[in-house]
Amino acid sequence: MRNTESAARVSAVDMRQILKTFPGVVANDRIDFSVEKGEIHALIGENGAGKTTLMNILYGLYHPTSGSIYLDGEERQFTSPIDAINAGVGMVHQHFMLIPALTVAENIVLGCEPRKKVVFDYKAAVSGVEEICSQYNFTVNPREKTANISLGMQQKVEIIKALYRGAEILIFDEPTAVLTPQEIEELGRVLQDLKAVGKTIILITHKLKEVMAFSDRITVLRSGKKIKTVNTADTTAEEVTYLMVGRHVDLAGNRMATKAKENILEVRDLCLEEKGKQLLKNVSFDMRRGEILGVAGIDGSGQNELSDIIAGFRKATGGTIQYMGRNLLSEQTRTIRERGVGLIPQSRHEQGLVLTMNIAENLILGHPQRKRFIKNRVFLNNAQIEMFARERVDSFQIKTPGLRVEASKLSGGNQQKIICARETGETSEMIIANQPTRGMDIGSIEQIHKVFMDARNTGKSVLMISLELDEVMSLSDRIMVMHNGEVMDIIDAATATREQIGLMMVGHVPVPQEKRCPDEW
Amino acid sequence: MNGKLKTILLPVVMLVFAFVFASVLMRLTGNNPLLAFGAMIQGAFGNPSAIINTLNRAVPICICAFAVSFTRECGIFNIGIEGQLMIGALGSTIAGIYITGLPLAVHLPLTLIVGMLFGMIWAALPAAMFIERKVNIIVLFLFMNNIASYILQYFIFGPMKGAGAAMPSTDLIQESARFPYLITSPNKLSTAFFLVFAVAAILYVYIHKTFGGYELRATGKNRVAARYAGIPVKKYMYLSVLGPGALAGLAGSIEIQSKYFRLIDGFSPGYGWDGIPIALLSNGNPVAIILGSILFAAMHVGSSNMQMQAGVSSLIVEVIQGFLVLSVAMERFYRYILSRPGRKKEG
Repeated sequence: MRNTESAARVSAVDMRQILKTFPGVVANDRIDFSVEKGEIHALIGENGAGKTTLMNILYGLYHPTSGSIYLDGEERQFTSPIDAINAGVGMVHQHFMLIPALTVAENIVLGCEPRKKVVFDYKAAVSGVEEICSQYNFTVNPREKTANISLGMQQKVEIIKALYRGAEILIFDEPTAVLTPQEIEELGRVLQDLKAVGKTIILITHKLKEVMAFSDRITVLRSGKKIKTVNTADTTAEEVTYLMVGRHVDLAGNRMATKAKENILEVRDLCLEEKGKQLLKNVSFDMRRGEILGVAGIDGSGQNELSDIIAGFRKATGGTIQYMGRNLLSEQTRTIRERGVGLIPQSRHEQGLVLTMNIAENLILGHPQRKRFIKNRVFLNNAQIEMFARERVDSFQIKTPGLRVEASKLSGGNQQKIICARETGETSEMIIANQPTRGMDIGSIEQIHKVFMDARNTGKSVLMISLELDEVMSLSDRIMVMHNGEVMDIIDAATATREQIGLMMVGHVPVPQEKRCPDEW
Repeated sequence: MNGKLKTILLPVVMLVFAFVFASVLMRLTGNNPLLAFGAMIQGAFGNPSAIINTLNRAVPICICAFAVSFTRECGIFNIGIEGQLMIGALGSTIAGIYITGLPLAVHLPLTLIVGMLFGMIWAALPAAMFIERKVNIIVLFLFMNNIASYILQYFIFGPMKGAGAAMPSTDLIQESARFPYLITSPNKLSTAFFLVFAVAAILYVYIHKTFGGYELRATGKNRVAARYAGIPVKKYMYLSVLGPGALAGLAGSIEIQSKYFRLIDGFSPGYGWDGIPIALLSNGNPVAIILGSILFAAMHVGSSNMQMQAGVSSLIVEVIQGFLVLSVAMERFYRYILSRPGRKKEG
């Protein structure tokens, strides 16, 4: 195949008619994808749309079933990522591939270390890294241990690593998944800097806000097919969502007025001290029936400790929790669940699911009415279990070949739906949701938001802890902002602003009545 | 496919490799492996008497394998069976010698139960230290095994020393505490044989058919998620160490009450250790556990014939066993080999 376009403009990346099939699945269905030199191009789509497969082909991890790849007009065939790296393609992975025990410089040069004869030349590594840092305005200490630096910093290290290997085309896989709002802004600045020196950037993401803010063009994939490439300036977030999902979505759900105003949960002066560290400091708040109380805060501000204590598997060192008028603090997790508390833990693989058990078994895990699933006092009532599981799978549209399929075989979104289906049943009065939609696609997020909203509208309560500020802001009735184990403030979601919450998240004491200037950032 | 691969193909391949490895060793030392294994099979299955010998030998091995396997369902590696088996044997010897005047229908089960209780008590200390204080249970089990062996010696050479016996042992237990024989010709097959099937059935039903078994499995596969789900994790962890303790005690008691009728120093040739590779290879499948136990018993029983006929040291059995344990530890390597031919081309 010859390049038929005019020679005046050669694309940095030109993938043509890429077809990639796995047994039983067409992951990429003859996709054309081209990226101009020096542009920021967002590749978006729901989970399973084929964006990661396409990028893995570009990065040499997969070989396409058919189709061809041109870099700067030259046809390339990659058999491994090494080929791709040599051709100037770099990837910044979603889960950083750094070794905590090594220093920043050591991590960056890992795999192509400068040597003095046979000995690793650490000084050359450090100076090489410093050179790149000054070239691109990065403030990273190459001698720092990687274990000691923040996630935002680690991402920069990954970027430097790609640049060190001479990458001209940088692929970012979900780069903002773990960053705070401030770090996301910082990343935006870095991307602009990289673009300014002529690097080509491909962003794989499903977060529209950043797509709209950072990118020049957007290519949307859906079910393995390319839907459209649009100029970011000529489109809107709504249009892109529509292209992605194929229908209109309403993430905020349908909020109805609720009458009940009594408190379901009253937390007073909750403290947690472990190994001399104050993890929670005098946390006090009320939650009403029929309310979604959002909890905002950067990761590690005490959110996990709070949900752990309410669910009963960490013991507070001080304070009280009243749930429906009764003390909850001294109870076992099982009793707490039987009283109607559902818990969606933050890590679905480690805390939420038994991956090697099947879907039906996971759906009844810790179910508050376990007697339903027992017959003759001790035996599993498989008929009941399957009936219950069938109903849950259907009503949550969990995509699975069967009820007796191992949970590990499902996609992340469907796994999370198993947990939600289990924890938001008719028996739960209060749902503690810790990062309920992390890593999920828009369709599934919408569905889970709707479940929370329905629970709220029927007089139940949801404590929704999330690192996604947008999610907290769109779904909550009130927002509690946490910082360093303390509650900074609880504010009305209808009038809250991103800036106000962002400042409290990093520890600024809220100043009511007064508008802060944007330049204080 | 993957499930089947693990439960059937993988252990078979490991066994084949182990025998191939042993054959190479024999060859290198100037022996004929075919002859040697032929003699081993002859010694284990060559005549009805040999078969009965093998079956008798398989009984304690099998119960130990079930014990290890049950603990494994809860995600814990149990190497304390050997010690619990010895203490269980001590318990049933005490009950068998010093409780008198009871009919067989009462004395036999009572003696078994005392043996099981002793085994369970011996498992209780490591269980509590591990579950309550997070002490490394492997180390605890190893210590307890050694201590058990010395306690046994103390009783055999000390307070329970038998009168006029040629080898260091206790007195004989009462007739009423002995298992009756199912058949006595051409060789003695004990009725204790049936206990294996009872144990297999009870464990299978408990683990796979009851709600408790379900919660135990969930605990074993993901202890953190089980805790988040409100499952009483500690209860199941105790159960999964104490229950096998009782099973080990049962295995020890069976040896005393159906074979030796007295406690002999060093009576166990390592039944508790034999149970470990069988439990790991069978991956919880009761039929595989029974077959594996017969195989191990046959190797032990047949090895003396092999030594006589082919001149190969019976210790080669230990080599095969060690190779199997190593193979289980290298499971990923085997999976890699097995998955290679069917690998999808990825470029």
